[in-house]
This record gives sequence, C-alpha cells and structure tokens, in this order.
Amino acid sequence: MSDDYPSLLRSERMSLVQLFVPTEVAHDTVHELGELGDVQFKDLNPSVNPFQRSFVGEIRRIDDMSRRTRFFDAQIEKEKDVVPVRPLYECAPLLTVGPRSAQTVDELDTTLSQYESKLTTLNESYQTLSERTRELTEARHVLRETAVFFDKAHTQTSNIRSSFDDSATPLLTSHDDREGGYSAGSFDLEFVAGTIERSRVPTFERVLWRVLRGNLYMNHTDIAEPFIDPSTNAETRKNVFIIFAHGDVVLAKIRKVAESMGATIFPIDANADKRADALREVENRLEDLQTVLYNTGIGRRAELVKIGESLRVWQDVVKKEKLIYETLNLFNYDVRRKTLIAEAWVPTRDLTKIQLALRHATEESGTSVPPILHELQTSKTPPTFHRTNKFTEGFQAIMDSYGISAYQEINPGLFAITTFPFLFAVMFGDIGHGFIILIAAVYMILREKAMAKQDNGEIIGQFFYGRYIILMMGLFSIYTGFLYNDLFSKTLHLFHSGWTFPDNSTRGVYTGHTYPFGLDPAWHGATNALVFTNSYKMKMSIVLGVIHMTFALCLQVPNHFRFKRKSDIYTNFIPQMLFLQSIFGYLVLCILYKWSVDWTKSPVSPPSLLNMLITMFLEPGKVDPEKQLYPGQGFVQTVLLGIAGVCVPWLLISKPYLAWREMHKTTGAGYVTLGNGEETAIARHSTDETLEGEEEGNGRAIAEGDEEHEGHDFGDVVIHQIIHTIEFCLGCISHTASYLRLWALSLAHAQLSEVLWSMTLDGRTDPKSIGGWIGLGIMGFMWLNLTIGILCLMEGLSAFLHALRLHWVEGNSKHFEGGGYPFAPLSFAGEGSKEA
Amino acid sequence: MEALFLTCIDNGFLEGIVRGYKSGILTQSQYANLTQCETLEDFRTQLSATDYGGFLANESLPLSTSTIQEKATQILVDQFNYLRGNAVEPLNKFLEYITYSYMIDNIILLITGTLHERDTHELLERCHPLGVFESMPALCVATTVEELYQSVLVETPLAPYFRDCLSANDLDDLNIEIIRSTVYKAYLEDFHSFCGTLGQPTQDVMQRTLAFEADRRTINITVNSFNTELSKEQRAKLFPTIGRLWPEGNNQLAKADDIDQVRAACETVSEYRTFFNDAGVSSSSAHGNGGIDDLAAASMLEDRFFRMEVFLNKQAFLQQFQYGVFFSYVKLKEQEIRNLTWIAECIAQDAKDRIQDFIPIF
Repeated sequence: MSDDYPSLLRSERMSLVQLFVPTEVAHDTVHELGELGDVQFKDLNPSVNPFQRSFVGEIRRIDDMSRRTRFFDAQIEKEKDVVPVRPLYECAPLLTVGPRSAQTVDELDTTLSQYESKLTTLNESYQTLSERTRELTEARHVLRETAVFFDKAHTQTSNIRSSFDDSATPLLTSHDDREGGYSAGSFDLEFVAGTIERSRVPTFERVLWRVLRGNLYMNHTDIAEPFIDPSTNAETRKNVFIIFAHGDVVLAKIRKVAESMGATIFPIDANADKRADALREVENRLEDLQTVLYNTGIGRRAELVKIGESLRVWQDVVKKEKLIYETLNLFNYDVRRKTLIAEAWVPTRDLTKIQLALRHATEESGTSVPPILHELQTSKTPPTFHRTNKFTEGFQAIMDSYGISAYQEINPGLFAITTFPFLFAVMFGDIGHGFIILIAAVYMILREKAMAKQDNGEIIGQFFYGRYIILMMGLFSIYTGFLYNDLFSKTLHLFHSGWTFPDNSTRGVYTGHTYPFGLDPAWHGATNALVFTNSYKMKMSIVLGVIHMTFALCLQVPNHFRFKRKSDIYTNFIPQMLFLQSIFGYLVLCILYKWSVDWTKSPVSPPSLLNMLITMFLEPGKVDPEKQLYPGQGFVQTVLLGIAGVCVPWLLISKPYLAWREMHKTTGAGYVTLGNGEETAIARHSTDETLEGEEEGNGRAIAEGDEEHEGHDFGDVVIHQIIHTIEFCLGCISHTASYLRLWALSLAHAQLSEVLWSMTLDGRTDPKSIGGWIGLGIMGFMWLNLTIGILCLMEGLSAFLHALRLHWVEGNSKHFEGGGYPFAPLSFAGEGSKEA
Repeated sequence: MEALFLTCIDNGFLEGIVRGYKSGILTQSQYANLTQCETLEDFRTQLSATDYGGFLANESLPLSTSTIQEKATQILVDQFNYLRGNAVEPLNKFLEYITYSYMIDNIILLITGTLHERDTHELLERCHPLGVFESMPALCVATTVEELYQSVLVETPLAPYFRDCLSANDLDDLNIEIIRSTVYKAYLEDFHSFCGTLGQPTQDVMQRTLAFEADRRTINITVNSFNTELSKEQRAKLFPTIGRLWPEGNNQLAKADDIDQVRAACETVSEYRTFFNDAGVSSSSAHGNGGIDDLAAASMLEDRFFRMEVFLNKQAFLQQFQYGVFFSYVKLKEQEIRNLTWIAECIAQDAKDRIQDFIPIF
C-alpha cells in the first residue's frame, strides 16, 4: 500500500533482525548504528543485574570519566570571569572508531585524570592561600575595629579618671603610682577579640551572657565586605567582636565558647603601638599573599581555559561511549565464539541502509570479519514508527501525546494537519488575530536555523516546536476571519452589501443580491447581529462536528481490513454509522434545509430544531403542524428513530454472538484450550527458556519467551462490547453537544475583541487636539498589548486546548485503538542535544 | 468525617509526599541485589537504579562507607526539612517533636565527648543533622549539669526535660547515662501526651509506637544495669511511665536481677514474649559462664527490637489521615540507612557471611 514512499497514514513496516557481531568490531558497529539512529536494540539479558553484565568495567570507567568532565564543567561555571567554552561544532572531532579507538579512549582517560589532579592541586593551593588571606583580612579588621574600641575606652577612662581625681584626691595616698599605671595605657582589663559569623552573633552573645552570669561587656561591629569561600562561592558575613573580662578562668571559658561557635580569635595587644605594628605587618603579609593568590588564580584560569577548549568534545565522546557500552550490554555475549548476538527492530525500508552502515563499520575498524545481519520471523508486535519531517512533527506529537497508535494502525496525526488548525480557526476566526500569529510563525520559520541552535527556554521552545502548527492555525484563522468578516471586531466591506438602510431607517431592506463570501457587513452593528451570528455559529458547529465524527468513524474501516477483522465492519462500523446518522446526520440535514428556506415567505414560522429533536424522542411520529419543517416529517422521524433503536441491540449482541459461535465451532471440533491456568503458563514459559538455551546457536530469536498471550475469553468480549456500546451511544449525544464549544469560544472571542475595541479605541480614532493624539497613543498601545496578550496568546491557547480536546476525545474515540509503543532507536543525535 | 477533610486540607499534600517517599524505600529484591555486590562501586551502581539515584555520582573513588552513610542521611534530612517547611500546626509541632530525640542524642554525644576531651569540631561533625540547634556548640564549655542547663539548655525546647536531672552533681559516664535516660523518659512521656491531644487516628498509631519505644527502653535499661553501680531505686526512676509494661511490668523489672526475671516480667505482653524465646534459653543454659553469652543475648534482643520497630512503623502506613506516617517514615528511613551502612561495611571488610544480618523493611 505505502511501501514505495514513506507515508504518515500508517506507521512504518518494521522487521526484527538478528546481528552477529564479532567482538572486535562490536564497538564500531554500535557507533555507526548510533550515528545512523535507526535501530532499536532489544534487551536480551533482562534477568541479568546491571553490574553483572559483560561491559560493566568499561561503563564504570566511562562513568568516572564523565564525573571528571562534570567536575571541569562545574569548575568552569564557578569561575567568576567567564571562561570561553568552545562549542562542539567548532571543535576538531576526536576519532573513537577504527583500530586506534581503544587507544584514543585510554589517552582521553589519562588526559582527563591528569587535568583533574592538576586542577585539584591548584584548587587546593588556591584554597589554602585564600584561607590564609581570609584570616589575615579578618585580623586586619579586628585590629582596626578594636583600635576604635580602645580609643573610645581611652577617652572614657580619662573622663572617669578626671572625675575620680576631683572627688577622691585627698583620700588617695599612692596617687602617683596610679597615675603612672594609667598613663602607660594598659588598663587592667583583659579581653578576647576575634571574628564570628554575623548570624551567630545573637546566640553567641546570649550564651556568653548566661555563662558569665550577666557580667558581659561585649562590643561588636559589622565587617562591611562579605567573605567568599573559593570552593563553594558562598558568601559569609562576619562581625568583629571584643569581649572584656577579668580572670583567667572566665577568659578561658569565653575562648572555649567562641571557638565552639566557630569564631576565630586573634591575639591583640592592649598597647596601641604594638597594635599599629601588628597592623602594618599584617598588611604587608596580606599584600604578599594577594600577589601569590592572584598568580595562582591566573594559573588556574589558564588551565581552565585550556580545558574549555576541548571540554565539549570530551563530553560528547564520553556520552557516546557510555551509550555504546550500555547498548553492548543489551547483547548476548557468546564467550566461546567471541561474538555478540543482538536483536533489533529496524524499519524494513532501511534494511539496505543498515547493511551499508555495517559494511562501513567493518572497513573503519580495519578487520575483515563483517557483522552478519539477517531478518527473523516473529509474531511479536513491532514498535510504532512514524517518519515525520519538520512540518508534520508537531502534528504527530499532538496525537502521540494522546496515545501511541498500534503498529500499522491508521494514524490520526496525518488528518490532524488540516482538521486541527481548522477547528482551531473556527474558534479563533479573526483576520487580524490570525495575521498576528501567522507573522509570529513566519518569523520563527525564517529564523529556524538560528533558533534551533540556541537554547530557547521552556516557553519559547514550546512555541518554536509548534511553529508549523501555528503557521497553519494562522492561515486558517485568516480564512475563517473572512468567513465571519471580522477584523479586530470591525468588518471589511469588500463587496456590495445585500442590504440597504433607506432614510436612516434601522430596518434593512433586502436588495436582491447575496453577499458573495462570508458574513454580510450590514450585520455589523445591527441590533439583532448577535442573535443572527449566534444561531449561525451554533448550527455551523453542529454541522462541522457531525462531519468530523462521521469522518473519524470511517477511519475504522481501513483498520478492520488491515487487522483482518472484517466481521467488525458489520458488527461495529455499520450499526455505529447508522446510529450516528439517523439522529445527528438527520439533524444536520434539517439544519441545511432550514437554511435553504426563505422563512419570510413561508406560511408557518420557522420551527425550533432543538425542540424538533426532543419531540422526535419523546413523541415519536407526532409532529405539530404549526412546527412542521416539511411534510411527512412524522413518518421519516419514526423510521429513523426505529433504525437508531435497532442499532443498539445490534451493536450489543452481534459481536459477542460471533465470538461465541467461533468458540463453539472450535470446541465442537474437539479442540481444547491450552495453557489456560497460571501454572501451565509458567511451565510453558520455563520450558521455552530452556529450549532457547539449547537452540541459541541455531539462529532462532532468542528472547521469544515472553509470547504475548491473547487469551480472548468470551466473558471479556461480552464485557468489552457492553462498555463499548454504552460509551458509543452516550458518546454520540455528548460529543455532538461538545462541538458546541466551537460556537461558544468563537462567540467569546468575537465579543472580547469587540469589548476591547470599545473600551480603548472607540471614538478616539479621529483626534482633534493634542490631548486626543496622546490619548490615541496611550490607548492604541494598550489595545495592541491586550490584543496580543489576551486575544492572541490567552484566547489562542484556550482555543488550542479545545481543538486538542475535540481531536483527542471526540475524534479519536471513534476509531483510535492506541496501545502501540514508540520506536526508540539508539541515536547519538537526540542524546547530544538533550544535555548540551 | 469533617475532621478528616480538615486534615486533608492541611496535611493531605504532605501525607501524599511522605507516602511517595515511603514507596522509595528499598525492597527485599533490591536488598538481594545489593548483597550480591562485590565492591562498593557495584554497590553504587546498584543503588543508582533505586530512588537514591545518582546521590553518589559525584564522589571520587574510592568510596568509603562513611560517605555513603553521610549522603544517605543527607537525603533523609533534605526530605524531612522539605516536610517541615511545608507543615502547618499542629503537624509542625509534631515534626519538631521528632527532632527532639536527635537533639537529646547530640547533647549526650557532646557532653560525653567533652568529658573525654575529644576535639570539639570533630564532635560537632558527628552530630545528627536533624538534631542540630543554634547554641549546641556551647555545650562543650559546660562542666556540670547545672552549668549545662543554665548556659545552653534553658533556651532549647528540651529544657523542661532536663529539670529533673539537675540534682546530678558531677559529670561521669554513669551520670551521663542516667541523664540520657531521664531526659528520654521525660521526652517520651511528653511526646506521648502531646499525641494524645492530636485526636483519634494519630493518637492510636503514635501511642502504640511510643509505648513500644518506652518498653524497649525499660527493658534495655534493666538489662544494661545488671552488675553496675546503679541501684534498683534509681533504676526504677528511669523507666518511662507509659508503655504496655507499665505499671506492674515496670515494677517487676525494677526488681529484676537477671535476664530470666526480665523475661518473666515481659510474659504479660504476648508480642514481647517471643523476644526472649531463644535468648532466654541460651542465657539460662550458659548463665554462670560469663558475660559473652549475655552480650550475645542482648544483641539478639536488640535485633528483635529493631524488627519489631520496623513492623510497627510499617503498620502506621495502614491508616490514613494521621501523623504517625511522618514519624514512621523517618524511623524506617533511618533503619534503611543503618542497613545500607551495614551492607556497605560488610562489602568493604569482605565479611560476606554476615551480610544478611540487616533488617529488611519491605
């Protein structure tokens, strides 16, 4: 059917192939197939622990290498000035295939470990140096701040002393001694000074206060600049503190508390001169250290720059190597014959391509033993693979996120390419808004190459991925916009209107010609415009909905043919179709008929179709002549209702009956079902496995043990069919009603854009004064922003969501089976972009 | 019913989270895989397939058991802090209560360390991160209980627990043990009564778990106090006044002189009876022969207690809309970390014959 050219209608035909790969070319073969990205390998040792597989040693080595590259990456990221990292596509590739591949990897391993040890030593020395610097800086701060304390204390003591002098001089005998003692500048208080983390200051103070029983004299000030830990880049802010106390025991206690709270204590002399000396010395040493530190930093940076030049290549190689060995671990390793046996799913169409790749791999590796590929016969379901291009990719993704279609099932993603943007546009119909999103899509498509390369972030990336969907949605929205004759809630006057309004009358007069395309602009602003468009859009939604559902229902048929279930056509498809058409198909016909009649010239008033449908159920056969749509209506409706009524038991019974007859026939012929109970199934399973062990060498599919048991029980069939019938019959009604969302959203969209216009620009479009121009500018800006933000983005997303639902629920429930599993080939391409 | 929905509003999210965490606890088959590992690297590979994921991926080789333990504990701590950050009263208070037991352990560790003049920073590193509090480092300064209480503990939530043991004068090993037991007893009783205020399902589940915890302590204190200076009156004071052995079992235990009497005291509770089945036999047959058999019996007893604890904690997950799951999760995870450490230790020391001696959880 579609064997010549890849088509989206059905998933690709797949083959299960077996590969015999000699050990020496295994690595290169997998590498080649990974580059090709077209082969999905099966796990042939599902029962083996990950660390007991054949290539665990290699993987572990690669893991260590990748840890090293991660370490480099983290180091480069942490560096304050940006280290240039050369992107992958600008680097010379590192060859990891061919006879020298093992050597290359070995070399890479040693290079990596060399760089790592170099970097670690540099880091260590950098860290010790910055640690020393930090200490010295702290010491400097302590010296400076304590000097302030002391100065203050000095002025205070002199004050105290002078007052003391005045009042107490006569009583003192050894006045001179005291005078001498004070003037030496060493008052009798001892103290502890140091630095502590700012967040700990309150706790520190509290604990000290308690330990010293309230006899605490403590001073502390903030150090303005934060200290930065070079290894973690974490900022810590510290305070200088000084605590005055008396007595060795107390001082020791203070020291101990300070140390346990993580403070650093510095020995400070009480003598001002000595302090100045110390400060000078500290500053000298600090200067020296900073030079050394700077040089170390430069050296480290140079090293990082060198690493940055080839880091991406290393990462790439490491990632690929890891994938290769992980894949090799899926293979069956035959130690005696030195071959690896692999099983894989490949698209049948690409078999020759894969053969070529295998040959190429053999040539590359420089050996003469080629891997052997041959196709296996299997009863297992292959994975589902839709070959998409950049245009169809987005639409297929919409359907795949609902469910992966079964192998070779009709793919709804193909039809979504038109139906999806169309249903969206019905809700979003506006020439202007459609144009805006079209422009956005065209912009993304034109800059496709540039945008694909850069990282777009989560939100922009999503839009970029769906750029072709947006393109189609924009085009269709412009089309429906013309149909609704709606341009930013205004109308276009492209042709002559079919109505005239003579002498300021509010009542239009029909001129006799019909507006050729879309809605007549005369409706715009008419008092009954809303009544008219509502009725029109509502009916249109039902018509579109029934067409969409009928189409989706028809997609069952090719599936029934393909999966050889012809009986399903008359047990499922025909009754379902009849049921749908006799109720809702009939409704659609009535809508079209009602549109075609000129009710102004009719003797009866136009009947309500909704009431008609309700009475069709409630009073079959009876039609009020006042509300009659056409003669003979009662009879037609009774017949249709009868057909729909017959369809329900038909749908319910016919399939189970066929299944029962089939079963009867087989049992009648003397066959008994095998492997019904659990035990026999297990027994068979195990014998299968042992058999396989024996036959391994004979080229049989190895992992065929887990045969899919499709024990179709009669009870299952009955229950399944009951559910199916109920779901379908109720679904028909609710789904038809569900399409009314097309009308609701379209109405909401039109009204919203009209409200926006009247709130902002209405009446301002013809400014007379400067104020008017300014008002127009502000309002115009607001209008544009709200149009893009609310009407295009928010309304667009909501319409998108509803279109999605209509496809997933209303459309897919009619035919889609799902239950497939996606084709996940080994591919380097996807892996590379994911993490880079 | 109404209360049920109200709990859901406040704690439904966290309960969901903790149940999710719980399903990440290693299963029997994963343990089976772990025990087959030859090296710690295998161990890491095997763990990376579980919920632990790549928690060791950035560690350079060779791995050490302590790194594994540290990292695993860190995961628990992160999870706990997440829960705590999202909790509202009274769950918040409940979670705080869980940390108290770790705080007690840390305090005792620091006091003992200071007594033996260990390095303060080394001690601080060994503290359990769940029980860290701000003024904890200052504990190293204190030399008497009085000082300890006045300078540091008075501002912690543990202060009321310490009030009863201020009479102990000087710090020595025995006194520290007594302090630990007294404080723990006060803590258990307080937690027990707090759970009583939380309403039905929580009260039920938690008091069952705490009652067992109390009994375990009672029995342990009794067994450990044989042949020590601890007088029987003092011993009786250390027993928590909750639990299924209380009061008459406790009274009997207070008077017990050997393990057979302990067994007799526990006869009344059917679950505890089995603990002593083998232990009792072995100790009675080898009674006078020395302390080694007693030691073996005690360690076997300890093992069974752990098993029982795991069992009770697993049961907590059978009931919904109660806080017991949070407590139980932390305890189960702690047991899991103990198991991992044990297995890793066995692998590292090549003691394969004892590798199966962990306590499986699920």
